[in-house]
Amino acid sequence: MMNKNDFAISGNHRRPGMTYWEKSQNLWGWLFIIPTMLGLVILNIWPMLQSFYQTFFRTGDFGRGNIYIGGQNYVQLFKDSEVWQALWNTLKLTLLQVPVSIALALVLAVFLNRKMRGRAVYRAIFFLPMIAAPAAVAMVWKWLYNSQFGLLNHLFHTKIEWISNPAIAWISIAVIGIWSSIGYNMVLFLAGLQDIPKEYYEAGAIDGATGPAAFFKITLPLLSPMIFFVLVTSVISGLQIFDSIYMIMSKSNPALPKTQTIVYLFYQYSFVNGNKGYGSTIVILLLVVIILITALQMKLQKKWVFYN
Amino acid sequence: MKTKGIMAALLAGAMTLTMTACGSSDSSSSATTTTTAAAAATSADNSDTATETTGADTTETTEDSLTPSGSSDALEVLIWDTNQQPGIQEILDEFTEKTGIKTDLQVKSWDSYWTLLEAAAQAGELPDVMWMHSNVSQMYMKNGLLLKLDDYIADSTEIDLSNYMSEITDLYTYDGSTYGIPKDYDTIALWYNKTMFDEAGLSYPDDTWTWDDLYENAKKLTKSDGSQYGFTLSPSNNQAGYYNVIYSMGGKVLSDDKKTSAYDDPTTIEAMELVGKIVADTCPDVTTMSETGDDVLFESGTVAMTTQGSWMVPAFKSNEYVAENCDVAVIPYAASTNTRASICNGLGWTASATSKRPDDCWKLLEWLGSKDMQLKQAELGVTMSAYLNTSDAWAQNTDLFNLQAYLDVTTEKTGDATNELILRPYTYKTTVWEDAANQAFVTAWTDTSQMESVCKSVAEEMNTAISQENS
Repeated sequence: MMNKNDFAISGNHRRPGMTYWEKSQNLWGWLFIIPTMLGLVILNIWPMLQSFYQTFFRTGDFGRGNIYIGGQNYVQLFKDSEVWQALWNTLKLTLLQVPVSIALALVLAVFLNRKMRGRAVYRAIFFLPMIAAPAAVAMVWKWLYNSQFGLLNHLFHTKIEWISNPAIAWISIAVIGIWSSIGYNMVLFLAGLQDIPKEYYEAGAIDGATGPAAFFKITLPLLSPMIFFVLVTSVISGLQIFDSIYMIMSKSNPALPKTQTIVYLFYQYSFVNGNKGYGSTIVILLLVVIILITALQMKLQKKWVFYN
Repeated sequence: MKTKGIMAALLAGAMTLTMTACGSSDSSSSATTTTTAAAAATSADNSDTATETTGADTTETTEDSLTPSGSSDALEVLIWDTNQQPGIQEILDEFTEKTGIKTDLQVKSWDSYWTLLEAAAQAGELPDVMWMHSNVSQMYMKNGLLLKLDDYIADSTEIDLSNYMSEITDLYTYDGSTYGIPKDYDTIALWYNKTMFDEAGLSYPDDTWTWDDLYENAKKLTKSDGSQYGFTLSPSNNQAGYYNVIYSMGGKVLSDDKKTSAYDDPTTIEAMELVGKIVADTCPDVTTMSETGDDVLFESGTVAMTTQGSWMVPAFKSNEYVAENCDVAVIPYAASTNTRASICNGLGWTASATSKRPDDCWKLLEWLGSKDMQLKQAELGVTMSAYLNTSDAWAQNTDLFNLQAYLDVTTEKTGDATNELILRPYTYKTTVWEDAANQAFVTAWTDTSQMESVCKSVAEEMNTAISQENS
């Protein structure tokens, strides 16, 4: 799925006097990436610039009559405890969801990579949450969690307020995220595992490395590029959690202030309150946080990611 | 190595920021208000959002959800209430039969309706015909998004605005021009579970009930083991809930000039203290009420009483448990003022100013507002109609419940109390302060001793919000 070359920029320094062959290669290269480039520019880059531009305005009704207000939105952002609480909620969710999801997916992948009966069935079952629509998933979990009529409380004979007790609601939300992402991560890990040549295990076995030892000494290091990829993308998507909060937490939910994520808050401001300027400012904050965290991960990968 | 990191970070940024652009057709644009798990099925169709890990191209699923699924020559009609859908569809079908103009009725949930409508308005793609609500009607009219109906009305033989409740007509009038044909009006009444009252040996609520009677009876109906509660009132149930207490006691939510909040008014606070008392002693925990709506708690036989708007009748009618065990009585009054108050509101049928077929839109509006169809809407039990003197037809749409309870408050006096209809408080951007208030009251609901301070902080928040409106 991913190896070193995917992230590396090809060191294609343009030299004067390219041969005909090189020119043709160049032309075709560009032609092939134009569709993607267009999509990226129209759907991603341009809206991104527009969002940034909007942060300097108090946006009028229906996007008309925007008033330039300089950095006021940013000043308000720094004083807004709701935003910082939401940012902390988001980080908390990510910190719980990503490691647990990766660890479980990894274990599952290792087990389902062996020869066993019904392997394909198990793989399909674990992957199923991935093809279910997130909103539908959230809706089902909402009723599983319901303190009054929910299946969970019914089964365990408890009266736990899974999604309205501020102390545990965020964990309940993280569980949904873990459940939904395990299958996808597992498939990526399976792909990574199949790339590891059998010879390593054979050689390891001769040296006495079997079972857990083989896992930690052979599987983990050789899978580390894939783990790194999953980690980076999971963290980014974790920081963007929205659906489950939107579908599950009602506005009068006492746990909402301690659970709402930064994207949920952005949605509230931009699309419910019609305050797109401030909404965009919130999402710029998220951008900065994501860039910082991702850059940090890129830096730290040298310490643990092993490219063979 | 360095460029690698920067590129990745930029890509991450792109993933984040494109959400601003695509959020308008959000994950749940087709979620319904129905609170059963079955609703999951209907909300599942277009729910791809950026939370999926598949990378930067997740935004591609943002197709225009307003595009009608049927033929392109149908007028798009957008509403938000699934309970009313069958009745409205019937009226629309008859319209198609008569005029040959096809319609395509779509229903969105209340929340996503407004999100969708705002995005559509910004893109100049409002549906041809849609419901409008007093919460934001001023904003839509001021920005010229709705079709001006003055000339059409002047030429029409069907529509004469004096035939409708003037309060509702006023909601859809801006700068002397009419933009909406009144559709309906609604009032509030008290629903109760007869079986629970019988079991407790209490007599059913009637027009002698004050809010204190409600409190006393609700307390008796509350079981200590948590299996049954006397009443339910979620902090977000303002229109059908605490607004009525406030106004009957002489308090207010909004000043008369709509410029300042009245939550810091001593009478309002007194009323909210009473609400707090009811909540603390007779209602389920706020956590329960936030997870399960007042209506569902009532429908499931968890609570003995709830105040609900007349728009809930179709839902209760089709619920077997409610049909068998429950009935409705006139809303209680305040002993201190001898006044019974019901919040009243009404929707308007409006058309898009940018519709390519304004004349067809008008034909539909004319149809929907005509006496026959307003009467039909009442008879089908869809809602009470805004057309004067059609209410009796509505009250007779079912013999399961005493629907007269909703009409009693529209008369001068019921029992010993004077009746007052209060128009639902609104400003230019009602939703902003209303949402803020609903959320703030969660604190007061959790710990009712804080009611006064929460009211005061809500007032402050509300004043800020109103001052930032663009009106």
